[in-house]
Amino acid sequence: MSRRAALITLALTLLVSWGSLVVTQVLGVRPKLGLDLRGGFSVLLEAPDGTDPDVLEKAAEIMRRRIEALGDVQEPEIAVTGLRSIEVQLPGVTSRQRALDAVGKIGQLAFRPVLEVSLGISPLLAAAIQHEQSTTTTTDATTTTSGEGATTTTSGEGATTTTSGETTTTVPATTTTTAPPTPPDLTPVLPPGIAICVVDDPDDPDDAPPPLSDQPGCVDGTLGITLSDDPTKEAWLADPRTGEVFALAPARVLGGDLADAQPDFSQSGGGAGGVPFGVSTGGVGEWVVSLEFNREGAAKFEQVTKELAAYSPGDPRRRFAIVLDGLVQSAPQISPEIGPDTGISGGRAVITMGTGGNPEQAARDLSVVLRYGALPVAFEQPSVQSVSATLGADSLQAGLAAGLAGLGLVALAMLAYYRALGLVNLVGLTVFASLLLVIFSLLGETQGVSLTLAGVAGIIVSIGITADSYILYFERIKEEVSAGRSLRAAIDHGFGRAFRTIFAANVVALAAAALLFMLAVGAVKGFALALGIATVVNVLVARIFTQPAVALLGMTPLGERGWFSIRRAVGTAREETA
Amino acid sequence: MNLARRLYWGTTHFDFVGRRRRWFMLSAALMVVSALALGIRGLNLSVDFIGGSVIQGKNPAEASLSEIRGALGRLGLAGAKVQITEAAGEKGFRVQTGELTPDLEDRMVAAVAAVVGIDDLDEISRQTVGPTFGRQVTEAAMRALVVFLILVSLYMWWRLEWKMALLALVGLGHDLLLAAGIYALVGFEVTPATVIALLTILGYSLFDTVVVFDKIRENISERSDRQTLSAIVNMSVNQVLMRSINTSFTSLLPIGSLLFIGSALLGATTLREFALALFIGVAAGTYSSIFLCAELLAVWKEREEHWQRIRRRLGRKGVEDEYAAREPEIIPEPEAAAALPAATGAVPRPPRKRRRHR
Repeated sequence: MSRRAALITLALTLLVSWGSLVVTQVLGVRPKLGLDLRGGFSVLLEAPDGTDPDVLEKAAEIMRRRIEALGDVQEPEIAVTGLRSIEVQLPGVTSRQRALDAVGKIGQLAFRPVLEVSLGISPLLAAAIQHEQSTTTTTDATTTTSGEGATTTTSGEGATTTTSGETTTTVPATTTTTAPPTPPDLTPVLPPGIAICVVDDPDDPDDAPPPLSDQPGCVDGTLGITLSDDPTKEAWLADPRTGEVFALAPARVLGGDLADAQPDFSQSGGGAGGVPFGVSTGGVGEWVVSLEFNREGAAKFEQVTKELAAYSPGDPRRRFAIVLDGLVQSAPQISPEIGPDTGISGGRAVITMGTGGNPEQAARDLSVVLRYGALPVAFEQPSVQSVSATLGADSLQAGLAAGLAGLGLVALAMLAYYRALGLVNLVGLTVFASLLLVIFSLLGETQGVSLTLAGVAGIIVSIGITADSYILYFERIKEEVSAGRSLRAAIDHGFGRAFRTIFAANVVALAAAALLFMLAVGAVKGFALALGIATVVNVLVARIFTQPAVALLGMTPLGERGWFSIRRAVGTAREETA
Repeated sequence: MNLARRLYWGTTHFDFVGRRRRWFMLSAALMVVSALALGIRGLNLSVDFIGGSVIQGKNPAEASLSEIRGALGRLGLAGAKVQITEAAGEKGFRVQTGELTPDLEDRMVAAVAAVVGIDDLDEISRQTVGPTFGRQVTEAAMRALVVFLILVSLYMWWRLEWKMALLALVGLGHDLLLAAGIYALVGFEVTPATVIALLTILGYSLFDTVVVFDKIRENISERSDRQTLSAIVNMSVNQVLMRSINTSFTSLLPIGSLLFIGSALLGATTLREFALALFIGVAAGTYSSIFLCAELLAVWKEREEHWQRIRRRLGRKGVEDEYAAREPEIIPEPEAAAALPAATGAVPRPPRKRRRHR
């Protein structure tokens, strides 16, 4: 390597490595710490054998939504790992119990008969508004009767479904303009057994209400939407895709009654082995979801479809809402050809997806929802861990102290062994450390990769491995010199030969780290990742730093003269060859 | 020149092969002790493998062992393992129990918190593990190990030769058993982190062996008709000695600082699990590549016809082996020469090395 090339490479390397470190630190881009370093809660959930990856993704998605609803979690990490595990990491979470509630149980899937549908407003709220208007015009005696009337409506016997559906679109407009901002009181229209949810009072944070899971079936006091879905009670739930809000009867078929659900492309328009159930468009072929119930589910399903088929086609009460975790996923209608005396028997049914939007995607999504709902009530929890913030901080401190001490010791040993060459190693370690820090900062910022305690351990271990690269090179220089080369020639020639060995060694190490990363779970993954990144950086540093630095050093007085020189470290040509 | 100097300049002339018996004896003794320790004491498996709960935190009230035990006893958890820890001058505690219901675990945390003087229950770290978790981690690790070993063996077979690949695996087994034995003997806790750390470092120790064998191969191709195999092995090991010692030493420095500064002084137990396994792995790996694998190779390959012939020829000429400052009683030449062909029996295999001389 010529002096000029070495100078340029070295200057560039130092500029890039130290410069990027300064830039990231000034910008406040720091490595994202794992929860074992800053405290938090983590749980590993394991689905039963053979669970479809799509279904696992769905489960993770539902957990994510629930965790976000908790509100006090920063950057939750919920990821599918391995074949059938979900890893949930909640850094800095304060309430262990609420976190466990949120991820611990599978969302309940239920088939609920539809009682009433309205667009954009809960039928319950609409009923309350109507009720309030009627009380302002009539006497107290009629209040109770109209209240009862509303109750019967929601329980499925009211005959005013369509009209209430129409009025809802106009009533909110009038309430917002004429009525005071206080929402109507839902209490008079609530059916028995259903209460208004007690929620966190922002003015009184000390008095924590019972969690929503302890208030089954409760309804939001202002929106009239059920917050805590209880399949045994009536519910008012929305389909976020269509904007419809449904009043729903208690669940008749549950997720556990389902055996399987698969998306299918049906050629003949509804003949895919099940009785059609849903809006048929009569096309040549269409996307459907085929359902299969287990024996118990088949009986329940037959019974309920008989009841629903008693309503005339077009009546919303001929519809069936598929509810998962408080959201209506789909509400197909019983096909017109099904009569009240036959129902859908045989435990098989088909939901046709229509032609709007992307029916293939819709069929896939719905089948995943259904299969997810068929999972057992809770995943197994092979590992639950919460780390207090103080323990995390202590661990971080210990890791940093150990890392710095390790760096210092290695640098000292190398200085003692190789004198001026040890100096190269010392500066090289700072380049190595800067690059690693920058890489982890950027990974944390862009990819959400966090640095765990195991990762810190991996980095500390890799300090020793980088030292090996220097040793291989320096020993090679020694060999070349003793074989009779001049110092500069040995430095130049030695690098090429040493680099081949360094490269081979690090490829093996990288392969080991990659293998470990792919196969391992949890903390070990962090260890493997840190080790792998350090390995790559190590090879890079050898090429862009060590080579030019040693070459330049060989040209300075430190090359040949004095007790600290390279010459003293590598010796002279052996007089007699072996 | 003193030893350090000779080491540094690569001019040592240790007779590794000549003194192989003492290293073989040492290894054999270590293996027997390890196996016995494993058989009798067994491994101290962490909660990850057997399932259960661990809680730990600070101990501001400086509660004693018996106070914490008393609190646990009232909940019917008298069998729990309780430790009082001390790190950086601060007292802490650690309680490990068998599997508990979530409710009982909560009550245990509350009871212990009251005794050690912690108000905020979230200041206590907890870990709850089902009995399958550790097995799962270990299974994944074992799969990784097997795949890795197969790949490395194939690589060594291709790059070196099958005898070397096999011996490298023998060395690996030696290191594994030794590490397990140390863990069993001292009673260190084995966590999934331990298992993985050990497997990782075995990769590196394997690489150490590859470096030694690679040197031997290089020297064989240069001087296979002039020297006995034992001499070549001796020479090769002496040549890589400095690099092996340096590398091990510089690897052990940060691991040692992790072990002593990180965990002993500052009390980060996770770091200890990693560091301890790594420390043992690096040390055992270096030992076995220098003192075990190379010598085994020498013994095994000496039986090949080619090396027998060289040995006889050099014996006739009365040429001393290079580096062979050996005392006659360690390898009695006639005995070795007579015993070896008899032991191998039938027709000797054609010399493999021939191919390299085309």
